[in-house]
Amino acid sequence: MLSFAEETMLLLLDDQDGSFLPIPEWSMQCALAGAVLMDLALADRIDTDIDSLMLVDKKPTGNPLLDPTLERIAASREMHSARYWVENTAAYADEIRDGALARLVEAGILNRQEDRFLWVFRSRRYPTVDGRAEREVKLRIMGVLLSDEIPDPRDIVIICLCDSCGIFNEMLSSRELERARGRIDQVRKLDLIGQAVAKSVWEIQASLAMAAHPVY
Amino acid sequence: MDIGESKEDAVYVLEPRGRLDSANARSFEERVQAALEQGESALLIDFSSLDYISSAGLRVLLVGAKRLQQSGGTIALCALSPNIHEVFEISGFLTIFTVHSDRASALAAMG
Repeated sequence: MLSFAEETMLLLLDDQDGSFLPIPEWSMQCALAGAVLMDLALADRIDTDIDSLMLVDKKPTGNPLLDPTLERIAASREMHSARYWVENTAAYADEIRDGALARLVEAGILNRQEDRFLWVFRSRRYPTVDGRAEREVKLRIMGVLLSDEIPDPRDIVIICLCDSCGIFNEMLSSRELERARGRIDQVRKLDLIGQAVAKSVWEIQASLAMAAHPVY
Repeated sequence: MDIGESKEDAVYVLEPRGRLDSANARSFEERVQAALEQGESALLIDFSSLDYISSAGLRVLLVGAKRLQQSGGTIALCALSPNIHEVFEISGFLTIFTVHSDRASALAAMG
């Protein structure tokens, strides 16, 4: 089973050419941080409530995408909120992203291609080799959005992550998104870490908007 | 956590007491699963003696409710204390579950 960080990376890549979808950097960082924390929660290493994120078991999961974050939580002397840990873990998003992509390449799901732009600037793309994993994730998501059944915890997580980093804007047409908005809003509330991710993303977007259009 | 259980006509009632969190969410999930395997199709979870619920507790409720829905059964909750009600409200669980003010009204509605 893929980790949430790996599933998120699959959804963040353009299906046609394997380039990254144009989403804000901070949104992607928070989504990857949330992905790691949600995997730790489902692995019974951490638990959350509306105030705090608690260490449950510091035993490593064996997954190198998750264990560095688990170590930092275990080493913390104070208890913090889920949002604190989203923002703390977001600082390590580049490592999480690179690790997730490397695992997807190793698993034969993606291929790594180095390109040069104007013979100088390097760019990296990850075309899909085996699209089954991505199709499966998208089917799970659409299955939840198009029904009113109680969602599975794993499906709630991936919907939270997609919504936080704007993947739905790329995955759905504007009409589909308009129809699904109510269901997305209902489902994304169901995970407290997901709520923390959304708040972190929203706050930075709001502060950027304030900086661009200051109110005097 | 201690879990009370009883059968009131066709409704199977589980009453978790104390805290429902990562320390005992699995055992609560097993009790819900055992009820489903016994063929129970109407499940009421009485929260009157529950003081605290974490995300792990919410998750097992969701999993149990989903299984019950898939098998054509019904689930309802009752007697949420103000702090548990707040958790359900913030986490959006009030949009998923039918919640009754007390056991008597829940049983009347489910009967």
